[in-house]
Amino acid sequence: MLPLSLLRTAQNHPMLVELKNGETYNGHLVSCDNWMNINLREVICTSRDGDKFWRMPECYIRGSTIKYLRIPDEVIDMVKEETVVKNRGRGDMKGGRGGQNQRNRPAARGNFGGRGGKAGGQGGRNPHLKKNLNHNK
Amino acid sequence: MASGGEKREKNNPSGDQKEKKRKESILDLSKYLEKTIRVKFAGGREASGILKGYDPLLNLVLDNTSEYLRDPDDPYKLTDDTRELGLVVCRGTSVVLICPMDGMESIQNPFIAQD
Amino acid sequence: MASGLDSFVNHTVSIITSDGRNFIGTLKGFDQTINVILDESHERVYSTTTGVEQVMLGLHIIRGDNVALIGLIDEDVDNRLNLANIKAEPLNPVVH
Repeated sequence: MLPLSLLRTAQNHPMLVELKNGETYNGHLVSCDNWMNINLREVICTSRDGDKFWRMPECYIRGSTIKYLRIPDEVIDMVKEETVVKNRGRGDMKGGRGGQNQRNRPAARGNFGGRGGKAGGQGGRNPHLKKNLNHNK
Repeated sequence: MASGGEKREKNNPSGDQKEKKRKESILDLSKYLEKTIRVKFAGGREASGILKGYDPLLNLVLDNTSEYLRDPDDPYKLTDDTRELGLVVCRGTSVVLICPMDGMESIQNPFIAQD
Repeated sequence: MASGLDSFVNHTVSIITSDGRNFIGTLKGFDQTINVILDESHERVYSTTTGVEQVMLGLHIIRGDNVALIGLIDEDVDNRLNLANIKAEPLNPVVH
C-alpha cells in the first residue's frame, strides 16, 4: 500500500499533522496531492512547545515540511478494499496509486480510536495532544 | 489555476477525474486575493499581508505586510512585536503554510478543555 | 525499484526518525521516497530516570525525509525485553 494512497483515502477524516518545525495541526483533511501538500479545515495549530494554540478555519501546508501524519485507524481498512484489486498486478509502481472507486464513508469525527492504548502516555513534544488523542477514543 | 472544485472529491470519486485533478494545484489562491493571509516560512519566519498576486510555484506578492518578530533565543517562538515590511515578494520555495487571517485566532488549550 | 523494504512489509519494524524518536509498528507500505505507513504504532520514549515509556499512537504516515532508520523487529526477542527496566538517553535529533 502506498502512503499517498492512504492519505488520499483519509480525505474528509480528522488527522494530526506534525511539521518538521515541531508545530502540530489538528484538522480534517480536505485535499492532498502527489507532493503530500495538504489542505486542512477546522484546524487547531499547536506551537512546538505545546503552550500556544490557534484556531484557523483552513490552511494549506507544503508537503515537504511534514514530519508525519496521524490518521484514524479505520482508514487503513478502507484503502485495502480499494487497492487489493488494483494491487493484484504488483510490481507496477502505479498499481497502488488506487484511490479509485473510492468509497466515501462518513468521517469518524474527532476519533482517532487508538486501538488499545495506555491513556495519558507522554512523550515527544506534545503531551497535550497525545493525551487528547487517547481521550478521544 | 486551480478551481475550488477539486476539493469536492467526495462527490466525484471516479478514477479518471481524480487522475486529471492531480495535475492541478490543490490550492486555489484566487480566493485569498485582496484578503489578508498568514504565511509561515521555512526557518520560522511568519508574516501576514494582503495577497496581491501569486504564481503556481507559490511565489506571493503581499502588501501591507507585517512580519511577526521572534524570540532571539528561540527562532520558532513568536513575540508580540511586529515590523512592517510593506510590499513584498515571498519566494514560493520557502513557503511552508498559508492560511487566511480572517477567522484565525489565538485560543486557550482546547485539548485540556475536553478532559 | 526494489529498496529492500519489501521484505519488511506486514512485519513489525522500528523506525528512528531524524528528530530522534523511535516508533514501533507494522510496516504496511512505503514508496520511492521512503514515506512509510506504520500501523498500530507506538512510540518508545527513552529516559535515564524511568523505564521506557510506550505511547500508543495508531496509524501513521511518516514522511521519508524524516526517516533515519528502519529495522526489522524480531518479535520474540522484543517480547522478552523488560522495557520497564531499560534506561537510556533519548537520541538527539539529527543536525542538518
